[in-house]
Amino acid sequence: MQIEEKVIENILVVTPLEKRLDASAAVDFKGKMVDWINTGHRRIILDLSLVDFVDSSGLGAIVSCLKTLGEGGDLVISGIEDAVLSLFQLTRMNRVFQIFPTPEAAIKGLTG
Amino acid sequence: MPTDYSTHLSNDRMGLQRSIAWHLRYSLGKNWADRHNRDLFRCLSLAVRDRLVERLLATESRYQAQGVKRLYYLCIEFLIGRSLENNLYNLEIYQECGEAFRALGADLGEILEMENDAALGNGGLGRLAACFLDSLATLGLPGFGYGINYEFGLFRQEIDNGYQREKPEQWKAEAAPCQIERRDEACLIPLYGRIVHDIDMNGDYNPMWMDWQVIIGVPFDIPIAGYGRETVNYLRLYEARGSSEFDIRIFNEGDYFQAVQQKINSENITKILYPSDMMEPGRELRLVQEYFLVACALKDIVRRYRLQHQDWTEFPQKVAIQLNDTHPALAVAELMRILVDENAQEWDEAWSITQRTMAYTNHTLLPEALEKWPVRLLDHVLPRHLQIICEINQRFLARAAEIQPGIPGRLEHLSIVEEESEKQINMARLAIVGSHSVNGVSQLHTQLLKEDLLPDFYRLWPEKFNNKTNGVTQRRWLLVANPRLADLLCRTIGEGWITEAERLRHLEAYAKDPPFQAEFLAIKRANKERLARTIWKTARIRVSPQSLFDIQAKRIHEYKRQLLMVMHIIHEYLTLVEDGLEPLVPRTYVFAGKAAPGYWAAKQLIKLIHSVGEVVNKDARCRDCMKVAFIPDYKVSLAEKIIPAADLSEQISTAGKEASGTGNMKFALNGALTMGTLDGANVEILEAVGEQNIFIFGLNAPKISQMRAAGTYHPRDYCRRHPEIQRVMEAFSSSRFCPGEPGLFQWICRRLLDEGDEYFHLADFMPYVQAQAEASREYHSPGLWARKAILNVARMGRFSSDRTITEYAREIWELEAAR
Repeated sequence: MQIEEKVIENILVVTPLEKRLDASAAVDFKGKMVDWINTGHRRIILDLSLVDFVDSSGLGAIVSCLKTLGEGGDLVISGIEDAVLSLFQLTRMNRVFQIFPTPEAAIKGLTG
Repeated sequence: MPTDYSTHLSNDRMGLQRSIAWHLRYSLGKNWADRHNRDLFRCLSLAVRDRLVERLLATESRYQAQGVKRLYYLCIEFLIGRSLENNLYNLEIYQECGEAFRALGADLGEILEMENDAALGNGGLGRLAACFLDSLATLGLPGFGYGINYEFGLFRQEIDNGYQREKPEQWKAEAAPCQIERRDEACLIPLYGRIVHDIDMNGDYNPMWMDWQVIIGVPFDIPIAGYGRETVNYLRLYEARGSSEFDIRIFNEGDYFQAVQQKINSENITKILYPSDMMEPGRELRLVQEYFLVACALKDIVRRYRLQHQDWTEFPQKVAIQLNDTHPALAVAELMRILVDENAQEWDEAWSITQRTMAYTNHTLLPEALEKWPVRLLDHVLPRHLQIICEINQRFLARAAEIQPGIPGRLEHLSIVEEESEKQINMARLAIVGSHSVNGVSQLHTQLLKEDLLPDFYRLWPEKFNNKTNGVTQRRWLLVANPRLADLLCRTIGEGWITEAERLRHLEAYAKDPPFQAEFLAIKRANKERLARTIWKTARIRVSPQSLFDIQAKRIHEYKRQLLMVMHIIHEYLTLVEDGLEPLVPRTYVFAGKAAPGYWAAKQLIKLIHSVGEVVNKDARCRDCMKVAFIPDYKVSLAEKIIPAADLSEQISTAGKEASGTGNMKFALNGALTMGTLDGANVEILEAVGEQNIFIFGLNAPKISQMRAAGTYHPRDYCRRHPEIQRVMEAFSSSRFCPGEPGLFQWICRRLLDEGDEYFHLADFMPYVQAQAEASREYHSPGLWARKAILNVARMGRFSSDRTITEYAREIWELEAAR
């Protein structure tokens, strides 16, 4: 899966560049996220502004990343589309992840 | 944008001809010269659909402008039958269509016969839903049906050597093309998966429903026209499709076949209507169907509400949901899930909204029809819903103990979670707990709900319980099905009865009028001639329209007691051939109905009817006295031919078993006299028509209940006391009616004599014989019979579904007409 990553103010901003985070992409996505976590990133923004579809595998991968990050780490979401937000609400993941409108707002939220 | 459709959509003969011609060319791609009758059928359907759509859109605009409260009628079945003719009448263009077709050199009647029934239902539950939709639209009420778009409706019944054979009915092939696909309103439905137990950002328990599979529900709308052109509502039926994941997986070579299999499995959900009235224990697909219906409906309902409202405070003021039987009971848990999980509502507020929105109708007393789902199955299919149901139950039981401190000993009679050998969820209890109203469908039924089936709930919440006696639409069941009688009524008392059935009362003045009686009887005779032609065409039996047409048309079931009627036929036959006594009046006994494929006894009853019929019909001694006919493949369109032809309507269920019945109302509305027990709505029909104009016999419900409880019913005693019964039993145990298959009907003797005769056939047999003799005596006097039949028609106004819906709207839904 094509993913862009950059570090801003010591926060890793991860932006999947594909529209679908589904079963075919979830494994690769999770693998990359785990690698970044293992290299020491503790504060991560997952920017989903380009994603318009996440299936249960994709959601499961995102939750799995949160578990891998563990206590003391932050994994927050930004730029979530309505259709994807409804899936977060369906699964109650919106109660576990802070959700921000933009990566900038997320950075502010994590640093402020 | 064009707004003037006056030439294309006008309702005069020329407008209709133009529409038909336009569709032949542009929808079917044919030249006029190449048309066939089937093309004309399709073009007429499309022309009618155009007119329905105009009114549908106008109706919806009106509803939105007035911010109406909407009623959503959830039902797993809708037995609509044919739509085209009904729509022509309701749009008041039947005559113009007839003229248009005559001008085109075609016969409208022949064209209308081409339509397949939409048989998305088994019997009473589904047909009631269809009658209700008709009444909602006619009354201008914003009421919508929500159901499943089964690919295969109720099976087609064929008869092979007297046995029922089921054939698949792919109804859409020749249905009127009036479905409108609404792909843009498709919804994603999650199923299966598991709960991940977690903590949220506030440190509270946060169950996350993960790893679900996704099904897509695509809605199809069938316009439902009210009489008089003003209101057209819709019936929204959902079809299951596999999710678009399939499209991705085909690029992954190894997964192609698995992806196809998953797609097929998804689409199986709405493949077939379950052909049984009873619970399908352990049938996962049925549970999935039920959730699919509920989830699609609620998603749609909530989406529509949220277009106009920011918060949830007004939800119960704008939305009413009627749960019919327990099949949609999951709506209680689903609405809670939507409010609490997806919209972060506090539990108590969400529960208040849910209860004020939901109402439950119980349509059956039979315990085997009341659904209970194993907890492990719910955990597998809907893990989050199971959690919610358990939470609902826990809070409910705590509250119940507060309201009635003496209750702890009775909690097991209230608990939604039943702790049997295998834990089960009692769906009726879930529906009751989650609703602000619980109603039965006849006065007797509601009384039995309160006293026998749900006494603990009634003690807890007496204010929830109310009665709404069923009804039928006089438009389909008289105006359309019996046009000659409808025409006579209109000429005599005006057309008002079409929308105000109580006006039928004006007929009472004509009940004794000889010319009116003569015309009434001539119409009945013509209807009987038409049915006789149908019987010859489908069953190859010649019957005489001069004979008394004694008809039992309904699902085949032991509690409905087709067997009792057969016993009477055998009695009459033996009285003729062994005692030499001819019946006072010649009779044609007519049966029609389907048996659930897995119901052995019901299927044997069909064989019995055919076997008895074969003997009787071939016996030269019976030639002018008795005939027995079973008309195959009973459905709405056949009922429309059978009911107007009946002289005597058999409504002979064991008292306390039939919740209401609606066939009883249709027959009486068409001038048949009822031969019935004090069961269901028969009790109220007796009150309405008067005891002189109905034949009532047999034990009543309290008596039967008492005998059952005390164990004082001994069928063999009746056999010993009455040689007539003994003779009939001997006929069953002998080979008289099954010379080629000796012993075939001995099971009946075992059922009635050795196994306790659960449905009290023997106890009611002699009273039935006496009532039948009385019916014969009265039929012998045509003037007397005609008077009673006319009084039946005149006094059935109360049993219009318009009245029923008006009561629901006023007392349960708080729904108002939008004009």
